Amino acid sequence: MYPFNYRAPASLDAAQAAHGAADNAAFLSGGMTLLPALKLRLAMPSDLIDLCGIAELRGISSDGGVLEIGATTCHSEVAAAPLVRRLIPALAGLAGSIADRHVRHRGTIGGSVANNDPAADYPSAVLGLGATVVTSRRRMAADDYFTGLYQTALEQGEFITRIAFPVPQVASYAKFRSLASRFPVAGVFVARTGKQVRVAVTGAGSNGVFRVATFEAALSADFRPEALAGLRIDPQSMLSDQSGTAEYRANLIEVLARRAVSRPGTIQSFK
Amino acid sequence: MLTVSMTVNGNPVTSEIEDQLLLARFLRDTLGLTGTHVGCDTTHCGCCVVHLNGVSVKSCTVLAAQANGAAVTTIEGVARNGELHPVQRAFHECHALQCGFCTPGMIMAAIELIETHPETLTAETVRDEMEGNLCRCTGYHNIVKAILQAAEEMRAPQSARAGGGTREPTTPELTTGEGG
Amino acid sequence: MRRKEDERLITGRGQFTDDFNLPDQVWAVMVRSPHPHARINGVDSVAAASMPGVLGIYSGADCVADGLGEIPHNPVPSTQYDVKLTARGGGKVFIGSHTLLPTDKARYVGEAVAMVVAATQDQAQTAAEAVAVDFEPLRWVAETAAASAPDAPSVWDELPDNILVDSSFGNVEATDAAFARAKHVVSMTHVIGRVTGVPLEPRAALGWYDAKTDRYTIYAGSGGAVRQKQEFARVLGVEPAQVRIVSLDVGGNFGTRNRAYVEFGLVAWASRKLGRPVKFRAERSESFLTDYQGRDLISEVSLAIDADGRFLAIRASNLSNVGSRCVSLSPLSKGSGLITGSYDIPYATLRSRATYSNTMPTQAYRSSGRPEVTFAIERLIDKAARVLGFDRLDLRRRNLVPPSKMPYQNAVGSTYDSGEYERNMDRLLKLGDWDGAEARRQEARQRGMLFGLGFANYVESSIGSPRERADLIVKPQGVEVVIGTQPAGQGHETSFAQVTADLLGIGFEQVKIVLGDTDIVSAGGGTHSGRSMRHASTVISLAAVDLIEKGKQHAAELFETTADKIDFVDGSFRIAASNHSVDWFELAGLVEKASPDGSNRLWVRRDNEMHTPVFPNGACMCEIEIDPETGGLEITRYSTVDDVGRCINPLIVHGQTHGGIAQGVGQALWESCYIDPDSGQPLNGSFSDYGMPRFDNMPFFKTEIAEVISPTNPLGIKAGGEGGTTPALAVIMSAVEDALAEFGPPEITMPATPLKIWTAIQQARQLNPTGRGNA
Repeated sequence: MYPFNYRAPASLDAAQAAHGAADNAAFLSGGMTLLPALKLRLAMPSDLIDLCGIAELRGISSDGGVLEIGATTCHSEVAAAPLVRRLIPALAGLAGSIADRHVRHRGTIGGSVANNDPAADYPSAVLGLGATVVTSRRRMAADDYFTGLYQTALEQGEFITRIAFPVPQVASYAKFRSLASRFPVAGVFVARTGKQVRVAVTGAGSNGVFRVATFEAALSADFRPEALAGLRIDPQSMLSDQSGTAEYRANLIEVLARRAVSRPGTIQSFK
Repeated sequence: MLTVSMTVNGNPVTSEIEDQLLLARFLRDTLGLTGTHVGCDTTHCGCCVVHLNGVSVKSCTVLAAQANGAAVTTIEGVARNGELHPVQRAFHECHALQCGFCTPGMIMAAIELIETHPETLTAETVRDEMEGNLCRCTGYHNIVKAILQAAEEMRAPQSARAGGGTREPTTPELTTGEGG
Repeated sequence: MRRKEDERLITGRGQFTDDFNLPDQVWAVMVRSPHPHARINGVDSVAAASMPGVLGIYSGADCVADGLGEIPHNPVPSTQYDVKLTARGGGKVFIGSHTLLPTDKARYVGEAVAMVVAATQDQAQTAAEAVAVDFEPLRWVAETAAASAPDAPSVWDELPDNILVDSSFGNVEATDAAFARAKHVVSMTHVIGRVTGVPLEPRAALGWYDAKTDRYTIYAGSGGAVRQKQEFARVLGVEPAQVRIVSLDVGGNFGTRNRAYVEFGLVAWASRKLGRPVKFRAERSESFLTDYQGRDLISEVSLAIDADGRFLAIRASNLSNVGSRCVSLSPLSKGSGLITGSYDIPYATLRSRATYSNTMPTQAYRSSGRPEVTFAIERLIDKAARVLGFDRLDLRRRNLVPPSKMPYQNAVGSTYDSGEYERNMDRLLKLGDWDGAEARRQEARQRGMLFGLGFANYVESSIGSPRERADLIVKPQGVEVVIGTQPAGQGHETSFAQVTADLLGIGFEQVKIVLGDTDIVSAGGGTHSGRSMRHASTVISLAAVDLIEKGKQHAAELFETTADKIDFVDGSFRIAASNHSVDWFELAGLVEKASPDGSNRLWVRRDNEMHTPVFPNGACMCEIEIDPETGGLEITRYSTVDDVGRCINPLIVHGQTHGGIAQGVGQALWESCYIDPDSGQPLNGSFSDYGMPRFDNMPFFKTEIAEVISPTNPLGIKAGGEGGTTPALAVIMSAVEDALAEFGPPEITMPATPLKIWTAIQQARQLNPTGRGNA
């Protein structure tokens, strides 16, 4: 790695100040995204500001039909939390399916969502549940937060503090994992609240995580796998690489959406 | 440069280090504990797994600085008073190692897996939960057997086990689908 | 019998190369070519040289200036029974020179063209990024068929057409006649791709030149310390006695470590120039890019069959891609001798060719050459059964070499020593419940899954370096055996101790096997090709005879009698019908005391040379399920019967079979050293892209050992290290073909990834919309 200064602020204000004082700082959470990138010398921050010492950023709570997860809460904590398992079991299951258990012991929801890796699982849940991304400066709807491949609306020096998930009636997640990286080649998150169904796809879009309007309309009218019959995904805007051609990804999305709907409340991981 | 303090295998350690020093390198190069191995550069292989405050982590992707104030356990700290841990013994009895390079990380992963699954472990659960550890020599068959054997021994009555206490599972098994 | 090696390995006290550190050591990082083929017009190190911590920057020109030699890879297999490969027309094979750093061209992506040495690895890495190499990109070729085509760019100016080997074998006339009269001819072209060994310990080397003693010490895990001592002595221009190689614990080999790496010589050389130890440690991405790679063969095969399904003759034309340097022709040679497989095929012709290409050099990898050739014939037989309407097991049975014909010389001159091939099949079909497969197929179908049943026979060969040496040294506290094999997990410290203890009538715990340090190990052949158990046990047996003789003489002296009056029974020397008895350890103590400085030892040294190959063999079946909607594939059953000759340690042999299976399955389903056809860039440079066998994609195995004693060596041993891999490629693809039968079956190249499987199903459906398939 290129050398950097490590800072461990104990408060939100100290974190902002540390960022301001540095030439080119990066925020560090679990490190499961940032540190691998630094080890490969893909980035050269002058400072790493570790957010894990800030108490306000950790923890899981719920209030009035909204589940809030602190940015530095690690995946294994989300997966095991009784509150999450009760309110949004598919979210707990998704968290418990990320990478491997050692990575889950360190990786955090804030780190994952801030990076918006096209092959990450969390973005599909954040977008699929219509969550609110709360940062050190503002609150953003998920629809406004994800802006492209590896792109988010976060500004310089701004970091995620927590993510607020409206509790749906039911949600499910189905993904197909790459045979090497084990990231989703495609992952479909389906959430239903009353008459409204949201469908968000990760791993497949050439512009990052996206919603499928046609699937949402069909499922809102009729929440059964059969409702998706004949609905196709256009390969045009799909990623194409060794794990999958655009056509293959389009097919996976159709298949996974069907499977997600046929087993509501679950997560399904295929390979 | 900064100063880190932690306990490693129960021994307090304080050292001045470069900020970017990885925990795996701190253990191997600074402390001379070469039992923890580094096998890859993309956080996949699991040769570097140690326990950080009792939880398994890939030490190649943790800064030593992030372990400040923590309790770290490595493969060198697993045997107690010269007596092998049940997992170590099971690996030996079941021929769950060949070249031995992945073995320290494998054993650390297995110990933590068993400790967080006080209920009966199935081969399927072991295979799913050990996905973060690669082995090129054994084909995994004997390692699964060793872990199941050790788990059974460790589930023995509390009084017969050193250390006692079980912990909440960290990754619960929700319904997952495999194939159709 | 459980392993002695385990104690240190399960407690973190192994001694792998990177565990060694020397005071004052510094770090070497390589500057590597980003081009598949480029002239090197200059190396500008001015900027890098002034960066923090940098101690030296070296290029090919510096190697030449210091008179460093080429690495003597000696790649053409030349033991007595190796198939003799030559250039076209029988001439010498052109082997390009392999200097530590090239002066003329970089010939593959990743080739080291300069070395930076600095105080820390990070500093060396940062400086390496600042070294400016003046590359002039040249036309390149990576793909095997393209490299052998007439207009391909030349990797070596001296060999414009890239074809370094072009040899033909067999009986053309008789084969042609057999094809002419055959009722059926079935042909296939197999493309067997390139994979890499991925031993989990990345390669590393620590070099130290001690000016006081004028000796180099190189700590470097390998497949043969003695061999590397000779090789690096040549490179460094010194006598072998001036080089010490230390290779203790080795984190996996599989063939990858059998040949010398430039970094091992470079750190030794740099140490001399800088007066400090120099360490190199490969990143995993460097390993993926620049470990010697494996396989990469195109095989065209045809089988001539009569009306009753008897195989009349076989024709094969094999083209091996050796990469940009010839480091070993073992895969092509080993495969060539086995083109008839387990079958009694009277006539054969074979053309064996090798081509250079702008890729990483290839060499032996787990069962070098045999999985490829087993794939070629077993898949061809599957096709013959399918298109000609034979039962695939029946077609095989009626053609197997029967025990009555053993030892059997096949149509290309290999003499199979022993084996009961049909018995293997019968045992295997029972072990794997072949008869119950149909019911499992129906059950899978109900769940919407495509069920595939695969089968393959195999016979493989173990030749290996013919010479081995053992020193047996009796000390008061135990027996030490110094031997020149080089394990990387095969358990030599255990199995060799078993053999020794047995021969000397002592306890297993009383034997210590010493390996890997050339200051102690004076000679030996290393470990490859399944040679170790056979060669080691043979030379240890011979040494034991000598040692017992010596023991008798010493005992006779002690008891003041003659050696012929001494009996050796159960580890003790005694005068018959008396209570004069002394054991090994007492005797050793007496021998030591008898010398003024206590340096006398009760010991023997024995050399042995053994050329006769052995032919492990077996049968294998597997079951898979494919999800037609995703192409996802799961292995549900995998069973093997393996004839390893006498089996010294079943626990270890089963373990070898398991690991061998995983490597073969990996190539069939997930592994590929894929090169982008437009840029020539290798793409699968990390575990993010290179698929591996893992806990959750490998099944449990059912493995049985058959012991048909080999007449070729005193203990009747064949080999057990590579039989797991040998049929694995064939059996998996046999199952895939079976699962996709209703779709053609389509031809799918390995690795049979979900993407390829799904795509093949789609294409078949488009061609035949009324065909069956699942929605």
